[in-house]
Amino acid sequence: MKYTVHLASIVASMVIVGVLLISMNIDPIEAYSIMFQRSFGSKFGLTELFVKTTPIILTGLSVAIPFKAGLWNIGAEGQLYMGAFAASLVALYSKNPYLTIPLMFVFSAFLGVLWALIPGILRAKFGLNEILSTLLLNYVAIYWVEYLVYGPLKGKKVYNFPYSDLFPKYAILPRLLETRFHVGVFIAIFLAVLIYFLLTRTEFGFSIRVVGANPKAAEYAGINKDKIIIYSMMLAGALSGIAGMIEVSGIHMRLKCNISPGYGYAGIPVALLASGNPIGVVFAALLFGFLYVGGSALQTTYSIPVAIVYVFQAIIVLFIIAGDALRGRKLWKFLHH
Amino acid sequence: METILEMRNITKKFGDVIANDNISLDVKKGEIHGLLGENGAGKTTLMNILIGLHQPDSGEIIFEGRPVKFKSPKDAIKAGIGMVHQHFTLVSKLKVLHNLILGFKTPKDPLICEEWIKNRVNELSSIYGIEVDVDELVMNLSVGEEQRVEITKSLFRNVKLLILDEPTAVLTPQETRKLFSALKEMTKKGLTIIFITHKLNEALDVTDRITVLKRGKKVGTLETNSVTKRELAKMMIGRELSSKLEKKNFPLERVVLKVRNVWIQDDRGVITVKGVTFSVNAGEIFGIAGVSGNGQRELEEAIAGLRDPIKGEITVNGKSVKQSRDEIAYIPEDRIGVGLALQLSVIENLMLKDFRKYKKGLSLDFKKMEEKALKLTNEFSIIYPSLHSPASTLSGGNIQRLILARELSRKPKLVVASQPTRGLDIAATEYVRNKLVSEAERGCAILLISEDLDEILELCDRIAVIFDGKIVGVLPRSEFDVERIGYMMGGSAG
Repeated sequence: MKYTVHLASIVASMVIVGVLLISMNIDPIEAYSIMFQRSFGSKFGLTELFVKTTPIILTGLSVAIPFKAGLWNIGAEGQLYMGAFAASLVALYSKNPYLTIPLMFVFSAFLGVLWALIPGILRAKFGLNEILSTLLLNYVAIYWVEYLVYGPLKGKKVYNFPYSDLFPKYAILPRLLETRFHVGVFIAIFLAVLIYFLLTRTEFGFSIRVVGANPKAAEYAGINKDKIIIYSMMLAGALSGIAGMIEVSGIHMRLKCNISPGYGYAGIPVALLASGNPIGVVFAALLFGFLYVGGSALQTTYSIPVAIVYVFQAIIVLFIIAGDALRGRKLWKFLHH
Repeated sequence: METILEMRNITKKFGDVIANDNISLDVKKGEIHGLLGENGAGKTTLMNILIGLHQPDSGEIIFEGRPVKFKSPKDAIKAGIGMVHQHFTLVSKLKVLHNLILGFKTPKDPLICEEWIKNRVNELSSIYGIEVDVDELVMNLSVGEEQRVEITKSLFRNVKLLILDEPTAVLTPQETRKLFSALKEMTKKGLTIIFITHKLNEALDVTDRITVLKRGKKVGTLETNSVTKRELAKMMIGRELSSKLEKKNFPLERVVLKVRNVWIQDDRGVITVKGVTFSVNAGEIFGIAGVSGNGQRELEEAIAGLRDPIKGEITVNGKSVKQSRDEIAYIPEDRIGVGLALQLSVIENLMLKDFRKYKKGLSLDFKKMEEKALKLTNEFSIIYPSLHSPASTLSGGNIQRLILARELSRKPKLVVASQPTRGLDIAATEYVRNKLVSEAERGCAILLISEDLDEILELCDRIAVIFDGKIVGVLPRSEFDVERIGYMMGGSAG
């Protein structure tokens, strides 16, 4: 039932974007089929699809866990950037070929945790709205990385571009099939399964669900609400941090600005589409990965701005929210009689 | 007397539930017409149809000789029908004056003509004898005064037919009596009143005629002075009232709950409990009577360990409340807001407090939890679609059974029950009361906080009356007296 509404909202947004495309003199059916062909029709397309999907799985999970606890983590983007920053530091300064990648994981997760811990504590201890604090911290993180690549971390062999130096070989995630398809894809899927287990089968997951469903009932049941809020934010930060590491180590191979075209924000509709279910997040992320790959296909074919992808995303979100609200109202009316 | 309102063959379904099944009702001008029935009998639905909040599936309404069809309460008010709901709809930060004219245009609209309003209120109070202080903020009013404002609000709009939905639920016995005499006065001036209630005594006290509803059907309409309480009860619930509960044990000498000079703040930081002291013994049911909002909520939360007192001490068997959490069962006043999570499943709600005890390796033992949940639902006869459906699919009575099942199955030493039967039908109410009594007989200490005086009088060994955050007095069973308790609830010392 819930997913029917979400499916309907995807279809509805396809219709509306179709109208937009027509207004640009583009045949929407043709455009959609190009999107499909380019992402599913070739080895290159498929691997690109998975590569784009990977960070969205992680940021989707990073929104989904706090979502289950009744919190909005709008800060996945910033946590991703901080994770990328930590991973880059390790990559650029670690000399040990074997420990570098594990250390990059640990440090990126750690900095992501730290970045999410701030709004977590502010929320739990002082009741500060986490939507605002996570959102604002995004800017701090993004500009911090920008400052670094223009300043202290700017590479010596980059012809004055705002990049860090290339990472050494041992700091780059192994790639397969002679494409950009890297092992990060498997890591993301593994983490999704792990989080699924955590949320549905464990004591911690049970507590998160209770806090999310009714914080007062949680307190009444002796669950430490503040602790759950902080832990779920920390976990969220770790996942986004790892997403940042995977992006710099698997794709860019260096630190630079714009390492993410908004993966952190894409995590929000992804988590919503999946209703917070980690396995659902994988599939919803696939849809958004498809939008990115298909979107750039549209861009090259019709030379229209890639912004159409963001329009698509935004409309899907609007429809999900509207759909849920309508469904909720019907249910509400029924319940009160 | 002429007929002012006729509702003919009204039927209304919600999904598969028939809320009103072919109900006809006629109300005469100038009478107080009681609408009596248990919760869920369809009283409120019928009235919501009358004022246009719901549309009937079939049937017609004739008001003052003309067929009418109201699309919204606004239409109904225009025609002269007003309703005072159980939950008041006043804006607490506005003056009474401004509340009276919400959605109403005064002659100098868009300016508000205060002089005109005051004259009108004076006029109304000279006709109907109902007085309100128009310059006071609503937040400073007592519940009884708020109710008078609601009634005045309807009169202000020239209603000819006034519907009151369970108007006494929030009043002290004295306020109730005052309301009743005001209502009788108003009908003498030509107003017609429909009085919704599930309390037999009230229906007998105040009405001229009574229509009884049961499970969505009309049982009959009677002249009030030709019917006895017994007959009425039989019509309402389909059987005679069971005899009074007999509590078979006496309290032991052993103190379980000790509350000493406790002061508590509410969420806004206002001190609402001001130096309360009492104790409850094993095997005792100790009642706290009082009009709601006199500190009961904060007191119950503090005893349940959910709110820290700013001063004073609460102990259970000598240990602090936090230490003895597992020995305290708490049946909160706000079942849906505190007692459970509606979107979680039945099994999750049953396991809300004990899920940690079902660890198996890294995960939880869902099979064992399911077994236990099944046992509990059988034992407490909870009716539910499936263990995994959300608790929101349960009826009010079953929600309370679920909470009882979870709380009492933990073999508590102390039960804190707040308004445990509010909103429940007679069968569920009896079930809950029986459970409380049998817990006491088992040797458990029971603290019963209730606005329902009859309930407290029936069950308790001792009664404390709370007013303005202080215990006004404590009476042992031998000194129970409704009048006296009523005065104490209004703040007079016992």
